[in-house]
Amino acid sequence: MSQQRNRTHRTRLAAAAAALTGLLLAACAGPADMEPPEVDVPTPLPAGIDFSPEVTASVPDDSCDPLASFAPGAVTADQARAQLDNDGQISIGISQSTNLLGYRDPVTNSLAGFDIDIARAVATALLGEDPNIKWVPMTSNQREDSLKEDRVDLVVRSMSINCGRWENIDFSAEYYRAGQRLLVTKDSGIEGVADLTADHTVCTGAGSTSGGNIAAANDKAQQVTVPDFNDCLMLLQQGTVDAISTDDTILAGMAVQDPTLEIVGEAFSVESYGIGVQKDNTDLTRFVNAALEDLIADGTWANSYGDWLEEPLGTAATAPTAVYRD
Amino acid sequence: MSVQSPPAQAPPAPASRNPAQSDGPAPGRRFDRALASLRHTPGQLRGLLAVLAALVLGAGITGMTSILAKSAVIEETTSQSGRLSVAALQLYQALSQADATAASSYLSAGTPSDEMNETYRASLRDATVALATAAGEVKTAEDAQLVAELNTRLPVYTGLVETAKTFNRLGEPVGATYQEQASTLMREEMLPAAHDLQDNALGQLSESRSGAEAFPWAAAALAAAALGTLVWAQVWLSRRTNRVFNLGLVAATVLLIGFAGWLTMASLASASHTTRSHEEGAVPLELLAQAEISAQQARAEESLLLIARGEDEEAAKRYEAHIEELVASGGLLDRLDEAFADDPELSAAVADAREAAETWNAGHGTVVKLATEGSYTEAVEQAVGDEDDSLATSFDALNTSLTDATEVSADRFIEATADAHRALSGAAAGLAALALAALIGTAIGIQLRVAEYYA
Repeated sequence: MSQQRNRTHRTRLAAAAAALTGLLLAACAGPADMEPPEVDVPTPLPAGIDFSPEVTASVPDDSCDPLASFAPGAVTADQARAQLDNDGQISIGISQSTNLLGYRDPVTNSLAGFDIDIARAVATALLGEDPNIKWVPMTSNQREDSLKEDRVDLVVRSMSINCGRWENIDFSAEYYRAGQRLLVTKDSGIEGVADLTADHTVCTGAGSTSGGNIAAANDKAQQVTVPDFNDCLMLLQQGTVDAISTDDTILAGMAVQDPTLEIVGEAFSVESYGIGVQKDNTDLTRFVNAALEDLIADGTWANSYGDWLEEPLGTAATAPTAVYRD
Repeated sequence: MSVQSPPAQAPPAPASRNPAQSDGPAPGRRFDRALASLRHTPGQLRGLLAVLAALVLGAGITGMTSILAKSAVIEETTSQSGRLSVAALQLYQALSQADATAASSYLSAGTPSDEMNETYRASLRDATVALATAAGEVKTAEDAQLVAELNTRLPVYTGLVETAKTFNRLGEPVGATYQEQASTLMREEMLPAAHDLQDNALGQLSESRSGAEAFPWAAAALAAAALGTLVWAQVWLSRRTNRVFNLGLVAATVLLIGFAGWLTMASLASASHTTRSHEEGAVPLELLAQAEISAQQARAEESLLLIARGEDEEAAKRYEAHIEELVASGGLLDRLDEAFADDPELSAAVADAREAAETWNAGHGTVVKLATEGSYTEAVEQAVGDEDDSLATSFDALNTSLTDATEVSADRFIEATADAHRALSGAAAGLAALALAALIGTAIGIQLRVAEYYA
């Protein structure tokens, strides 16, 4: 009997020991028996990037003569000023983030660029030396609404004149003629839009007309859209895309930031920049057109073009000739 | 059991002395013999001893292991899953802070202050240390995956920030794009991963906590059964032997009562401290951390909005959402007020935080108005300058109040956890000793009676 009891005792001890070991093991079970995690290579992408945007080739809109604005006539600065929201101050919608056109320099904090020069010259003509200008930075898709909703008097922000926009706002005469081209790395071998193959990706801004223009010029290239075209430059530098396509003025602003990039090919679209004016502020539009004629005539236009765009674009240019409807 | 009167009867031959035993009897026969022996008092006494020994030993082992398990769990809240949840929280905070600092130093026109550089580097250090700690503490494949994802993205993030800084120094606008890109990576991939890791760790912690708070019912039931049997055995023995007390069994009874008392007290006290550590420590700590994170994220979005020259509607919306999380009614500050209602030190800190957050939010409106209405330079100056009325000053004040409250709250958590641990100190060894002593008492008490049959 005592032997038996001894045995049961030993069994119990063994059971207790086993239970304790089990507890300890449970506490220690850790990463040792886990498969190593698998992680995709992280590729930083901008928010809202679309690798398969819906693009339809753009067709020319002949429903109106978009470039025909209102002739300056004999309108006076007083008459034009009467149509400003705030007599003595003009509010102008611009970009602060488009290099060479409208850009806020982070070091000097000054606002500068071709669009800014034009806007400043027009404001000076309207309000006199050292005009009181309220600069209103906006995104490209805020341009029409800000005029329609009376938030700004003028928009000078690389805005192409077209018939669709004429329905909502008025335009000045054309003050610059840009065209869509390609920005690529110098060793890419791409020399124009025709060289793009189905293996190439082209970056454009979402909601812009650039995508439709590429599709019209080359329907093989894969398009990638981003909400802000500035993201395209980073994607090109990181090798995520092979080319950027938008107005050559904007491409010039990117090209000057990186000596390994170049603008190639002939322009495959016509982008006529005009100053946006609120609908029916016709006197203001007429006065702006007069001011544009003056700043072209007195060399302001040529100076500004020389300061900002001539070298990056590699060509001399002359101001477009104004066309009027009346 | 049939009633027989000892010791007049001749003792039957004990089973073990049966010569057939050595031949290895069939189990059925052995069982019959055991049953037969139970018809006689010494056999009954041995049977009783076996039952009592099993109950006392069972109570002792379950009591001891349950206390050890509780102790381990409390240890864990301060160590393993505790360390994981603290690391995950620190990671989340450090990453938010790194992003807020990187974005606002981008605004400081090329040369951010030494203080900003220092804050950015310190928060990167905190993030990497927290990641290393978390990597050592993860227990599930899912958590290991999250840690790996964060680990692969952190160098990409810092690369983007450094590229942004370089372009910014060169005055090239594309720097802003890199900075936005870095923040997008942080916002859309890294912070959600850190948040998931924190959620998982807190989930594991609250599982452990319910384990630590649970009453050891099995041990208590066994102890009660052992006590009951012991009392019944003494009544039965005193009837059978006409002796009122059996000293061994009385001692065992007293020891078992002590055992049950200690088990109950230690478990209840530890559970109440654990609950306190959760309610007064862990819950407010988590709320405070969330508040800090919301503030950092709002600050990052505010800077992004200004970096984008006011041309980023999404950043504006995200700023609003983060500020809402903080100051809206029922938001984080309201919940902190509730949690700290009866703690003047902490509720004062929360009141300071609220004041700073409101000043900041009001100032934010002015700054955005300045930026979008043409006074960009002034807007940036007000946002990142060090004047008393700048947004940076309000933001720092908010951050300081929340950090102060976090320190106090962390102390409370550590105190309560230590109390919970202390309530259990020595309990496992003590319970084991009591159970063992009770077992010996029982054995001696019964063996003495058995011996009388062979005297």
